[in-house]
Amino acid sequence: MPSQSNPRPRRAFRCGTALVLAVCALGGLLTSCGSGASVTIYSGRSEDLVMPILERFAEETGISVDVRWGDSAELALQVTEEGDATPADVFLSQSPGALGLLDEEGLLAELPTETLDLVEEQNRASDGSWVGVSGRKRVLVYNRDLVDEADLPESVLDLTDPAYRGMVAVAPENASFQDFVTGMRTVMGDDETLAWLEGMAANDVQTEANNNAIVEAVSRGEIPMGLVNHYYNYRFLEEDPSLPSVNYDFSPDDIGSMMIVTGAAVIEGHDTPEAQQLVEFLLADEAQEFFTNETFEYPLAIGSEPADMLPPLEEGFTLDTIDLDELGGDLETTVELIEQSGING
Amino acid sequence: MTQLAQPLDSAPDAEAGTSTLSPTKAPATLTIISLLIGAAFAAPLTYIAWRNLTLGSDLWAEISDPEVLAALGRSALLATVVSATAAVAGTATAWLTTRTDLPLRRMWRVLAPLPLIYPSFVGAAAIVAAFDTGGLIEQWLEPLGVGALPDVEGFWASWLVLTLFTYPFVHLPVAARLRTLPPSLEESARLLGGSPRRVFRTVVLPQTAPSIWAGSLLVFLYTLSDFGVVDILRYNTLTREIYTNRVYDQPRAMALALLLGIFAVLVVTAERSVNKRRPVTEASGRSRPHQVALRHWRWPAFAFMLAFLGNALLGPMLSLAWWASKGFANEGWGHLGQLLSEVSQPALNSAWISVISALIAVVAVLPVAYLTARHRNRPGGLANAFVVGGFALPGLAVALAAVFWALNTPGASAFYQTFFLLVFAYVVHFGAQSMRASQVAVAAVPTRLEDAARTLGAGRWRRLLTLELPLMLPGLLAGGGLVLLSVMKELPATLMLAPIGFKTLAIEIWTAHEDAFFAEMGSAAIVLVVLSGFLTWLLVIRRAESY
Repeated sequence: MPSQSNPRPRRAFRCGTALVLAVCALGGLLTSCGSGASVTIYSGRSEDLVMPILERFAEETGISVDVRWGDSAELALQVTEEGDATPADVFLSQSPGALGLLDEEGLLAELPTETLDLVEEQNRASDGSWVGVSGRKRVLVYNRDLVDEADLPESVLDLTDPAYRGMVAVAPENASFQDFVTGMRTVMGDDETLAWLEGMAANDVQTEANNNAIVEAVSRGEIPMGLVNHYYNYRFLEEDPSLPSVNYDFSPDDIGSMMIVTGAAVIEGHDTPEAQQLVEFLLADEAQEFFTNETFEYPLAIGSEPADMLPPLEEGFTLDTIDLDELGGDLETTVELIEQSGING
Repeated sequence: MTQLAQPLDSAPDAEAGTSTLSPTKAPATLTIISLLIGAAFAAPLTYIAWRNLTLGSDLWAEISDPEVLAALGRSALLATVVSATAAVAGTATAWLTTRTDLPLRRMWRVLAPLPLIYPSFVGAAAIVAAFDTGGLIEQWLEPLGVGALPDVEGFWASWLVLTLFTYPFVHLPVAARLRTLPPSLEESARLLGGSPRRVFRTVVLPQTAPSIWAGSLLVFLYTLSDFGVVDILRYNTLTREIYTNRVYDQPRAMALALLLGIFAVLVVTAERSVNKRRPVTEASGRSRPHQVALRHWRWPAFAFMLAFLGNALLGPMLSLAWWASKGFANEGWGHLGQLLSEVSQPALNSAWISVISALIAVVAVLPVAYLTARHRNRPGGLANAFVVGGFALPGLAVALAAVFWALNTPGASAFYQTFFLLVFAYVVHFGAQSMRASQVAVAAVPTRLEDAARTLGAGRWRRLLTLELPLMLPGLLAGGGLVLLSVMKELPATLMLAPIGFKTLAIEIWTAHEDAFFAEMGSAAIVLVVLSGFLTWLLVIRRAESY
């Protein structure tokens, strides 16, 4: 460790002299020496998808935002390691799993009821520690040159049928697949979940590293179909509309159509008005419209409508998210079941 | 033909203790400094050990689990095979580009180290896109009547991709060594009637062996640590197990990481004791190295370079360019200019932080390299094991360790998420690379020159600066070059430890990859390769040549 003196300006001198301002601008340690009001965000959602709306927040409120970008799970591990010393005020997550980890460690502050009530009950933590912001639906992406839509099953559970032998790809190490399996456990129980995973393994399921790799392999024709979140294929088609990959929805009440929510939480001990204001802003009309129109996600605030390009959520769509609380934070069993099933080769 | 090397046996054989410096004479200050450096480099491993205690990990249960042992076995197998082939490939490319009349050898010298720059996940994804079923190559071959290419996955695919991306760990130190070998031996061997091939086998190869070992061990450790390639190519190593469990079963992930770390430290220690009696040939800064005329092998050798670098460098580049063009063809080429201006600041950031980290890494490990190359004592071996062994740990573990130590060491929290901590993490993670190259460089400095200088009254610092440093320079530059390329593509520590708002090219590439913005990922990755090529040429290759 270099033995130079600490370049971080002391709180008492903040905004004091031009010299201090210069030092902190140089160090890049504080981007908001002037107004003082700022929120530090750890975001597992990526910059391209969230920054425009965070910039709008800063413009409208005058509160500056400092964002550390990363992988949801790894940022959650970082906050766990930082504990009380964390600089983070707000945590944005791609999936409920990372938020569950933080909640389990007691690192999340309880959100105000007004904020929680902006979404349906199933789209937030029952202890009020986080709130869903946008939704990603599980779908089956398939290659229209290789498969006829009429041959696709009603339920994800039917993919263990020999007719689909060797034709389906999954991403067992990926957070969204793990969240999907966790959701399955809450609905079907551990035994049936394991039986389905084993059935998939016996049916020669193919594995890929992540959702992108699945959509890429399907569009190249390496594999006919794969289980992914709905919006990946939209991104691929946006870059190259000629791709033969198509999203297929299982029936609305099928576990294969589960919605996995992205969420926002305030870190324990950091529940400032600014932090709470930011979470609320993400559920206001402007942000919700941005999420559905620009990032092709389902808005979660009550009263918000999905973009026209998204398949509407049909009547009977009941599986909104995973009830992590029901599992008592027992997430390692999900990884254990996936491993035990042999799906991962 | 070892008798050819006989005259050199009077040269310092540091490890064997036959040199003028006896093993007992290691200066106490050097030993203490080395131990302190070793302790700093042990930070990731001690963090992992501590977390095993606090999380209640059951290391013993993991070690006795046949599944875990199988994963460790697969890791070790892959690492062994990859390091063996990388040793052959890296030595061949180094020799061809430095010691022969290979056509365009100056260009090859700049290009050969570059495949190291591909971030693991980008390289593997690019290879898949190029060679896999329905990929770029298949599309091109289709009109020629070539059918579906096989799936690119599993052990052999991982072996191939890792070999193509890690051989520079061997190439750079070996090339540096070849440039400083005295030409007299080879000339004598030639005069005695040895064919070029025989001269290579009996003279060049034994003399470069320490560098080949140095690089191969780095390849071995890198393969142990790699997640990106084995994840995309579906080969289940111990590191993949660690990643799978990193969130939901931390006690298990930490136990497996500890197992990996212990295994690496054992391998490093074993390598050191196996190679301790290897004779070392002194460096020479006096004359141009001997150059071999390839004659009718000239163009076949050229074809080999073209084929090898075609796969390691050009193949992935084509995929990246293909992605970039597909995206831009759709969004319009005006987008390209905007994108290039967006990556200019990250490119600048990547450049300066990797150069600074490389410099610090070279300086930081030099005392340990000096101690281990000149003296044989336990503290040196211990420091060496931690500096080098830590390279096998996954980047995520190193990053979390930096978080932990910064926040739990009195007075260190002020450095949290500043450049100081970021550079510290880079140096700790990649110092092994400069260490290995520096050890060879130090060992090659003839102690009889140093003795002469001492007799003439030159002080320690003066001897170091005017005598040893110039002779070590090519080796040190090679080690620094490896660190530079590694920092350019580093991701986990950069994401966790960089000051907020500090973006590197690797972060840009990763973000674009996560969001499936392939056009942006492709073009940012091309910028990364070009910038790395320029920096390697400017700071490593050009200097080593001009010296």
